[in-house]
Amino acid sequence: MKDLLATVKSNKKIAENIYMITLTLPDEVGAIHGGQFVNLSTGNGANLLRRPLGVCMVDGDDISVCYQVKGKGTQYLTTVEAGRKLQVLLPLGNWFDLDDYKNIVVIGGGVGVFPLIATIREHCNKKNFYSYIGFRNIDAVCHYNELNKSKKLTIVTDDGSFGDKGNAVSAYLADAANVQADVIISCGPPIMLKILKQKLAEAGIKTPCFVSLEERMGCGMGACLVCVCKTAEGENVRVCRDGPVFDINEVQL
Amino acid sequence: MANLQVEICGVKFKNPVIAASGTFGFGREFNLLYDISVLGGISTKGMTLEPRQGNPVPRIAEGSSVILNAVGLQNPGVEHFIKEDLPFLRKKGVVIIANVAGKTLEDYGQICARLDGLVDMVELNISCPNVRAGGMALGIRPENINEVTKLSKANLSKTPLIVKLSPNVESIATNAKAAEDGGADCISLINTLTGMVIDIERRKPIIANNTGGVSGAGIKPIAVRMVYEASHAVKIPVIGMGGITSGEDAIEFMMAGARAVQVGTANFSDGNAMPKIIAGMNKWLDRHGINDINEIVNTLTLN
Repeated sequence: MKDLLATVKSNKKIAENIYMITLTLPDEVGAIHGGQFVNLSTGNGANLLRRPLGVCMVDGDDISVCYQVKGKGTQYLTTVEAGRKLQVLLPLGNWFDLDDYKNIVVIGGGVGVFPLIATIREHCNKKNFYSYIGFRNIDAVCHYNELNKSKKLTIVTDDGSFGDKGNAVSAYLADAANVQADVIISCGPPIMLKILKQKLAEAGIKTPCFVSLEERMGCGMGACLVCVCKTAEGENVRVCRDGPVFDINEVQL
Repeated sequence: MANLQVEICGVKFKNPVIAASGTFGFGREFNLLYDISVLGGISTKGMTLEPRQGNPVPRIAEGSSVILNAVGLQNPGVEHFIKEDLPFLRKKGVVIIANVAGKTLEDYGQICARLDGLVDMVELNISCPNVRAGGMALGIRPENINEVTKLSKANLSKTPLIVKLSPNVESIATNAKAAEDGGADCISLINTLTGMVIDIERRKPIIANNTGGVSGAGIKPIAVRMVYEASHAVKIPVIGMGGITSGEDAIEFMMAGARAVQVGTANFSDGNAMPKIIAGMNKWLDRHGINDINEIVNTLTLN
């Protein structure tokens, strides 16, 4: 983990309301795995909180993260041009540990796809990914080529403007009998993860399942106890440091 | 290189920069980023006798140049601290300030008695705005401050007592004096100001607790004014905090009367904020030909 002043290489719109920013790191930070995140300054001094963003791509000294424009902070971030420097803390959190698995089902929704893309890119040479990805509509679809590094890719949209109409969880469940999955990994809106947990239980699918959670964060490294979630036993765990990846059965969604 | 060493209530700090309670845990995480032994001291996460789960999430929000938090004193309890974290901090050679809170007056007495002689200083959190029982209620009225200070002091025979003051009060000078009269060895201020940020699409506050404590660069002028007023109302030493992000900010607080400073929110914007603040203070002193930080304390001349 290092706190560095990274140089913006590019910062461009990749889908409706979604941007990808690529940073060149001035220093070694060690391996970055799919599922890990960075805490990135918006570049505006009035935003004292950095934005926790899942790593999407790692290419040498460059890392790319994608962000949805939601408030003033991310709005400002869209105006940051190549050459500017941003304070960034990385790499943070745990990751999708796929050492014991060969066939991996990926269930992603909306901005949750980015850490999943990093995971697919990291392992696609050695492992098989079967990906079920949901977007709001055709304008929200992004990184198709990256997602298509999966052995099988199913994209659905809420309105049917790209792929079938539907959501990622249903798309997987409809196909579950055809896929021999060793593990399921997922990231997406809280409601999607909640439904995934319910549906897996209902369908009696016992395949191990790991989800990446999101929460408003402070320090990003586990010191401030701002971003907690509850374990199945009702204890607090830190999303930033004990997660963001958890066994779906070990956290309350 | 100027002398940065300061002494407060007989406790020697290698420099006057202390991690503020609640932003730094017990130092373990930041120690992965840099060796925390470079710091003057660490005020621990606010501790209670029993472990606490704290508030629901979201616990944090942002305003312009400020943040709001309502963690609600989530902590593993004082026994866990003594067993697990105290030995680690001891090895680091930083001044250990145990920040403590309670639900009742008796809680304050008990936790002080438990920590007496084990830590370098105890900092009384009577101003946490995010817990319903105790906390703020004890920290607003001078008579309550006096009472909780007396009771805590009666349970501390070896360890100096800092009383941390809330800014959400009528007169900071009166409250500082109330702490001093109650037997405080030192006061620290300011804790956070109570605030609210609303998500206008949902017509609800962003923070689950509705209100949160406002901190960060935006509150600095308020904090400097209060540190000035408090330090001129009492004879005991004052530790200043509120929005410090640079060496110059720290110098400003010390000129206003603080003998040391605490840094909180800045740690979120830059994990290396505190080592940079220490370096910045050194540079400023060198640039001004001052060879001892203590020479700048309380050197403000009013217009």
